[in-house]
Amino acid sequence: MLRKLFVAAVFVVGAAQPLLADNAVDPQADFKAFREYFTKRFPKVQLDDFVNGPYSMDEGLRKQWKAIEEFPPYEFAVDHGKEAFAKPFKNGKTLGDCFPNKGVGIRQNYPYFDTKSGEVITLELALNQCLEANGEKPLDYTSQEMAALTAYMAFTSRGKPFDIKIPNDPRALAAYRSGEEYFYTRRGQLNFSCASCHVQSPGGHIRTEVLAPALGILNAMPIFRSEWGNMGTITRRFQTCNSQVRGVPLPGQDVLYRNVEYYLSYMGNGLPISGPGARP
Amino acid sequence: MELRQSHLVLAAVAGGLIGAAVLSWSAASAAPVGQELAFDRGKGNCLTCHEIKDGPAPGNLGPALNDMKARFPDRKELIAIVSDETKRNPLTVMPPFKRNLILNDEEIEQIVDFLYTL
Amino acid sequence: MRTRALIRLAVILSVAGLTTAAVAASADDFKAALAKAEAANKQAGALKNQWTTTTNALNAAKKAADGGKFDEAVKHANEAEALANASIAQAKGEEKAWADAVVR
Repeated sequence: MLRKLFVAAVFVVGAAQPLLADNAVDPQADFKAFREYFTKRFPKVQLDDFVNGPYSMDEGLRKQWKAIEEFPPYEFAVDHGKEAFAKPFKNGKTLGDCFPNKGVGIRQNYPYFDTKSGEVITLELALNQCLEANGEKPLDYTSQEMAALTAYMAFTSRGKPFDIKIPNDPRALAAYRSGEEYFYTRRGQLNFSCASCHVQSPGGHIRTEVLAPALGILNAMPIFRSEWGNMGTITRRFQTCNSQVRGVPLPGQDVLYRNVEYYLSYMGNGLPISGPGARP
Repeated sequence: MELRQSHLVLAAVAGGLIGAAVLSWSAASAAPVGQELAFDRGKGNCLTCHEIKDGPAPGNLGPALNDMKARFPDRKELIAIVSDETKRNPLTVMPPFKRNLILNDEEIEQIVDFLYTL
Repeated sequence: MRTRALIRLAVILSVAGLTTAAVAASADDFKAALAKAEAANKQAGALKNQWTTTTNALNAAKKAADGGKFDEAVKHANEAEALANASIAQAKGEEKAWADAVVR
């Protein structure tokens, strides 16, 4: 009898352990390991400097950046976003009416998990939801107009630490987990994951481009890229990454894009918003 | 009978020589094609990650490609790396050129021919 | 000797005949090849892992077929199918493999 029990116990423990290891989602432990990975790998980089992407990795680039910031190429987008925020809709309301504090200084709280709809709500999605709720036409997620709105919201939130919350809701944990999986999954004919470049190879050169570290990478969004000659939203950045590895991009604000943004923003918690950014 | 045999031997030797000559000729001539494939962004695109002699604006995610004969005396090893390095190193960022149909066997041979000139 | 030569000739001719028969693809051959490629690519889409090179090959196949070049069209459709199958294999392999790359 005792022996039987013992065998049964061993069996249960044996079966349960791999299950636990596979299914346990522990965002806090992930967060700690993620941050430690980068701070150990780049001991000379100040924690808050990671949000400056390639400039935190490369002294030569950093000098060019200082020169760029004297006449910031995203300034036009910030001004335009500010105007757009104040401009009344046909119904007399404004974009600001959809957001806490009129949308000023709140960028660090997005994306958030909406326990009503059970979905991740990103800033870009929230902006379009606001437009649609007021009978206005939603914007293309990769448009300059969308980038102007998020640029303004980021600019008014500069210096505030990312504060992404994962409520104690199995759906929120599932969304987080799905984002983590997307982040580490290799895709496209070239077989790259987000992590292949931004976890395994930050500071490395793809041709002449310096790869940004994943830690704090979304804190700088949206970005003006000299290579593009204009502004890019988070959606645009994800889609470009997909096509660069020869993967067909997902539609803007696909649930997987929102989940990966949720995961990655959570990893950037505590680091300051630095957007809009300027990148080569 | 004996005469016939010696003829056969002669023929075999001659055949072998011609074969060897053809082989070495084809090997030498594949290197320029291999270089083109290696530099082509739609094919090997090696410069994205590797420094290569005469290659403009190389990246550095992978090691510089030089001294290949000394580093990879076994041609099979080099073929295997280009074909699918994830088999040996699951976390490598090197694309599995053969598995993902970026390059076919002939193209991989040609690129390896080129690599051995470095 | 003569018979051997004749046999050889017959073999050469029949092989040549077979090859030409195999090469001349019809519109139906193309449709069948395209359907297979598109089915595989749809499956890759369900796995959220289509490749741009598959799309390119599908487009090249359709363009060739529009121009009546069915040999070329079938060739591109077959390429597309192979690429789509490779993307499916990648997605399935990654269902487990991704976790090994996670920073811990």
